[in-house]
This record gives sequence, structure tokens and C-alpha cells, in this order.
Amino acid sequence: MTLLPARGVKASLISLLMVVGACGGGATSAPPLAGCNSGTTQVLFWTSHTPPDTDSMAHMVTAFNKQSTTSCVKMVAVPGSETDIAKLTTAVRGGTGPDVYELDRFTVAERAAAGVLTDLSSFGAASQSGNYLDFAWKEALFKGKPYALPFDTDARALFYNKDLLQAAGIDPSTLDISKGAPTIDTIRTMANKLNKKDASGKYSVVGFVPALSQGWHYTWGFAYGGSFFDAGSCKVTPDDPKIVQAFQDMFWNWSGALGVDALQTFLSTYAPTTPPLPTEQDAFLTGHIGFVVTGPWVLSWFPQYKPNLHYGITYIPVPHAGDQPATWAGGWSVVIPKGAKNANGGYEFMKYFAGEAGQRVYTKETQHMPTWKTLLTDTSLYQGDLGIFVKLLPTAHSRPALPVGSLYWDQLSTAQDAAIRHSKDPAAALKAAATATNDKLQQYCPLAA
Amino acid sequence: MIAAPRLRRFRLTQDDRRNLRTALPFIAPWIIGFVAFTVYPIVYSLYLSFTHYSGFGDATAAGLDNYQHLVKDPLFWQSLSNTLYYTALAVPIGVVVAIVLALMMNQNVREVAIYRAAFYLPTIIPLFALTFIFIVLLNPGFGLVDYILELFHIPAVNWLGDARWTKISIVLLAQLGAGGPALIFLAGLRAVPTELYESALIDGAGPLRRFYKITLPLISPVILFDLIYGTILGIQIFTPAFVLTGGTSGGGAYTAGPENSLLFYVYYLYKNAFQYSDMGYASAMAWVLFVISVVLALAIMRWSKYWVHYEVT
Repeated sequence: MTLLPARGVKASLISLLMVVGACGGGATSAPPLAGCNSGTTQVLFWTSHTPPDTDSMAHMVTAFNKQSTTSCVKMVAVPGSETDIAKLTTAVRGGTGPDVYELDRFTVAERAAAGVLTDLSSFGAASQSGNYLDFAWKEALFKGKPYALPFDTDARALFYNKDLLQAAGIDPSTLDISKGAPTIDTIRTMANKLNKKDASGKYSVVGFVPALSQGWHYTWGFAYGGSFFDAGSCKVTPDDPKIVQAFQDMFWNWSGALGVDALQTFLSTYAPTTPPLPTEQDAFLTGHIGFVVTGPWVLSWFPQYKPNLHYGITYIPVPHAGDQPATWAGGWSVVIPKGAKNANGGYEFMKYFAGEAGQRVYTKETQHMPTWKTLLTDTSLYQGDLGIFVKLLPTAHSRPALPVGSLYWDQLSTAQDAAIRHSKDPAAALKAAATATNDKLQQYCPLAA
Repeated sequence: MIAAPRLRRFRLTQDDRRNLRTALPFIAPWIIGFVAFTVYPIVYSLYLSFTHYSGFGDATAAGLDNYQHLVKDPLFWQSLSNTLYYTALAVPIGVVVAIVLALMMNQNVREVAIYRAAFYLPTIIPLFALTFIFIVLLNPGFGLVDYILELFHIPAVNWLGDARWTKISIVLLAQLGAGGPALIFLAGLRAVPTELYESALIDGAGPLRRFYKITLPLISPVILFDLIYGTILGIQIFTPAFVLTGGTSGGGAYTAGPENSLLFYVYYLYKNAFQYSDMGYASAMAWVLFVISVVLALAIMRWSKYWVHYEVT
């Protein structure tokens, strides 16, 4: 039995060829996406960010596409986080990865060591070094070679709610940043006056929880003058006595004074991390905490969610009067994953995105800070309080860029959590963190400068 | 010659061979898929467990390094104990809840169809969404669960913020998925011959006695199935913990629940594979888990001889 007459077969073949021809489209010069110029080839860009950051990135992509005669960027939001890049690694392994990926800068060395990233030396990336802040550029290197172009940065400072302070009879002007960094004792005394309990005996307001938001292990470790890595011996040093002291004072003793369980009930109610509440319910915005250590990105929240919030910003408190205040800066970067199909186009986009033009847009729209040096002196970019953070940058610390950076972070977080909950003594917990991290770090030593 | 007759038993007749030749092309798609996507990864992961491998580039031979490291890794032991603790609670409770649900679905009332749909409904909701609903229900400040506890003057519990309660929260959450096994139990209940109940009734047996003497023994094969299936799924628990603790806030991740109390085995394996780029170590963990699964399943099978009844005697 013949299923198709000969003429039918021919007709089917011709239509099939037409379909294949239309799909292939190799020779056509139509733009790959609306808004791109004709003759351009597509660059796939992945980011794990969400709005409002991605709204601003979309503006940058549109602007790039308008002016590029060779590349046409398609931005896709993908699942992931600072340290979780499962989506990227599986896609790259499967040959379906993007051409450009936005990666947390402190993990660049780690991902480069794992072989996920393309060495950017052949694109001439080394010549870009002078354009970027020194610490940000160093984070983009692994074994002396560039694997990323730095994007934004940030810094941490102490925010305080003036209304809450005034209601407790404290004059907020004593905290003005012009008066220098307050001591931890000063903040503790003020914070204790703000604590409030409801009828059932649970905290409804807690003055200050040092570990909340950006009050990380690194934040207080740096504030106490601690050092997290010893380049000479190629070993992490979380058991540095200064870091142990920071954990003892800011995590163990602080939660002990408030009551370990009572504090946890308060945090689970008003500031849970599993998972966090939506921004509009942030504990600082809703007046459930008086002080918080956080970064400049919250400045963009205030007009949107709490326009009438009376707040002030000052240095992260110091252990002793007269101590040099400390903060640390992080931020993101853009990289070309291994196996990128359009690496040249990808690099062209990266230079724009992480360059002067892209960072200018992102700074203006999202209140993140640029790593592009010349933008830091352009005061027109820093409306309102962002200028305070720009002034903090030159003295900011940064996390050690290690091939085991995210493991180290998790180990420090485990020790921090144990200190807050009084489940393990800080010295022992930090010693365990050192052992576990150094165990995995050894295979990469020595780390070239 | 003792071996010869045994060998002959496996010799195919001409008919058998012809059948095999015809059948092979038909099942080839499955065989190819099974070999490529199941057998090969399993064998490959065994190989990887003896190497250091980031997922990219070349794997370097590591001998027994990964296995030796496992023994020394406190987080490995913690994740194992978290997982076994969870499984030991979730599986037996799951069986009881599923049987109770099945009994309710088996009532001889007109609205039974509505009950069946209602009890099964939570099983259809993706675990991801269920977890989010649970977070709100368990909030110590304004959650419904603590509100009800306080109405009865029971002290409120910080379900997700206190390491003593986090795993119990997940055990409770898992019960929302009991509709699936309940359907299997329902099928088991329907298969119990009604004559047995009738003669028991004539002999004067009450409802409890009928349940213990007739229903339970006759659905014991289903209980066995559910125990083994539940155990294998239980030790692979991942999603609720990942959703609950995947939160990050402008700088990095928190721990896997308070005091890492939700760091389950597969979650730690995932972290090693995709966060720390240590595929060799993750593969070693996978193989240890496989061995544990097999041992547990065999133990349950052996134990089942004492209480599973396959036919009415």
C-alpha cells in the first residue's frame, strides 16, 4: 500500500525545505530581536536579579541595542543567587549557557577555579584595569588573569529611625555623621531604651539587632579590626582573636541580653529570613527596629514604601571611642561563561554594561554605586544620601577573593548563627569554620597574586 | 557434571529467540533511554566519587579522599542525622495519616466524592506553593497555628525560627501530601472482602476489633509498600528546606535553617555540587545515600515477614 502518491511526496519535501529555510535564516539580515539593528547577532545575557534592578538593566540593554551595529542583546532573568549558580553550571555543561552572566564579584575567583568562566585576557580586558576601583578589579582576577568586568558596588552603614529615638527621649542629632562614628556602647544604651514588649510579653520593638540585614560576620569582624585571610600562609583566619571578640560581643552577648528565644521569636515574626518578608514589610520601614546596618539600595525603598520615614545614617559603630570606623564593599560583575556561542558580542556588551555608560544609568536609577572611577567624582549622580556611601568607599574593606569564597561564607554564617543562638561558643565555632574551609582551600594553594 | 543441567535451563528455544529478535526493536527506545540517562550517570557518578571534579575540565584521581573527608565532615553527619530524624518521624506519621484519610474516603455516605476530592486536593498543589502557605500559617506573631494554640493556653512555638521545631514543621507540611498514598490505601480497603466484615459482625466484633483483626492485616502489603516508598522519598527530602532557607539578602545566604537544622542530606549534596563546585564529593555523598537506602529498604523487607499478610488464612 502506498501511503502517499509520488506527487504528494514531492510537495511535502518542497514545503519542508521552505520551513527549514525560513527557520535557519542564516543569510538574512533581519535583526534577531525588535529594537536591534539589522545585521546584528544575538547575545544572550542572564541575570539572577529581580526588579527594580532588572528594570534598570532593561533600559541599559535597550540603549546598547540601539547603538550596536554588531550585537543584539537578549536579557533573561534566571533563578540563582549570590552563591547558587546551579542554573548556569548545568546549562553551560549542557551547551546551552548564555554569552554573558551577571555574577557576584566575590565568587569570580571561585568560579574561575572551577572552570566555569572564560579568561578575558584574549579580549584585552587587562587594559581596563585602570578604569575600575582597585579592590573591585582585584576581585575580578584569578591567578592574575581577568575573568570578569566589575559592575556595581555598595557599602554598609548604620541607619537609625529618628522618630523612635525621639519617642524614647533620645536626641537623634547626637548621632549626626559629622560627629564621627558612635561607639558600640553608645548604640547599646540607646537601643535598650527602644525595646518594647506587647501584652503577651513578646518583643514588638527591638532597638538594635546587630546581626540583622547586613550585620554579617564580615561586617563586625572588620569593625573589630579582624583579618579573615592570611595570604602568606594561604589560610583563612576566622579564628583571629579580634573576630572571635566581635562574635562574642555582637552576637553572643547581644542576644543573651535580649533573651535568646525572645529575640528569635521577634525575628521570626518581623524579620524572618526563611524566606524574607516583602520589602514593604521590612522591620526598619515598619518601625519594629530602631537601628539597622544595611546598604545604599534601601535608599530607593524609602520614597516608594515609606515616604515620611525620618531616618539618619552614620558609621557602623566602633568598639572604642576614636577607633577608625570600618565598612565593607561588595557588588556584582559580568562574565563570559565557558562555551559561549557569541563571546565577542558578549564582551562588546560587557564593556558597555560595566563601562561608563551602563554604570551611569544603573547608579542613577537604582542607587547602587559604580566601580567606574570617573563616575565616583560626578556628584550629579548621587542624589540625597547616596553621597554618604560614596565617601565611605575609599576606606572600605572587601571580602577575600578565594576559590572557596562561598564555602567560607556559609561556614562563617554557621558560626554566626551558633553564636546568636548560644548553641556553640564563638571561639570553637570559628575554629571549626577555619578547619573546614582550609581543608578545601589547600588544593588551590599557593594563590598567585 | 553438576553445572550442565543448570545452564540448560537458561538456554532459549528457537521460538524464544525469534520472539526476542522481534521484541528488542520495540523496547529499544526504552533500553537506550535507560542506559543513556540512568545507567550511565549512575556508573559515571561512582567513578566521579573517586575524583576531584568541579563539573568542568578534567577530573583528577583522588582515591578514597572524598570518602575519608566525609567521615571527618561535621556537616555531613549533621545532614545525615537531620535526614534520619525527619524520616523516622515523617514516614510512620505519614502511614497513619494516609490510613485515616483512606478510612474517611471509604465511608458509605452520599457526599464521599466531595470528601475524596477535598482530602486529595493539597496533593495537587506544588510543594513549592504549599511551603509558602505553611510559612504564613506558622508565623509566631500572626500565624493561624500559634493563634489556635494560644486560644487553648498552649505556649506559642517558634516553628521555623527554633532548631527544635523546624524539622517537625516539615513533618507536618509533608502530611499535606498524604492524599497520594491515601488513594492507594483506599484501593487496598476496597479489596478487603466484605464477607469477612459480615461474619465478624455476626460474631459480635465491634468496629475497632474489625479494624485491627481484619482491615489492618489485609492492607498490610500496602503499608509495606508505603513504608518503603516513603522511606526512600523521605531520605531524599529537599524542596521544603530549599524553599524555606533559599532566602538571600544583598550579600549572601543564611544557614540552612536555624543551626543548620534543615540541612538535609540531599540539600547538602546539592550545595556541594552546585555552590561549592565539588562534584566528586557530591557523588561520594550520593553513593553513601544509595547504600543507606538499600540497607533501610532491606531491613524493612526483612521486618515485614512478621506482620505482612498476603492472603486470608
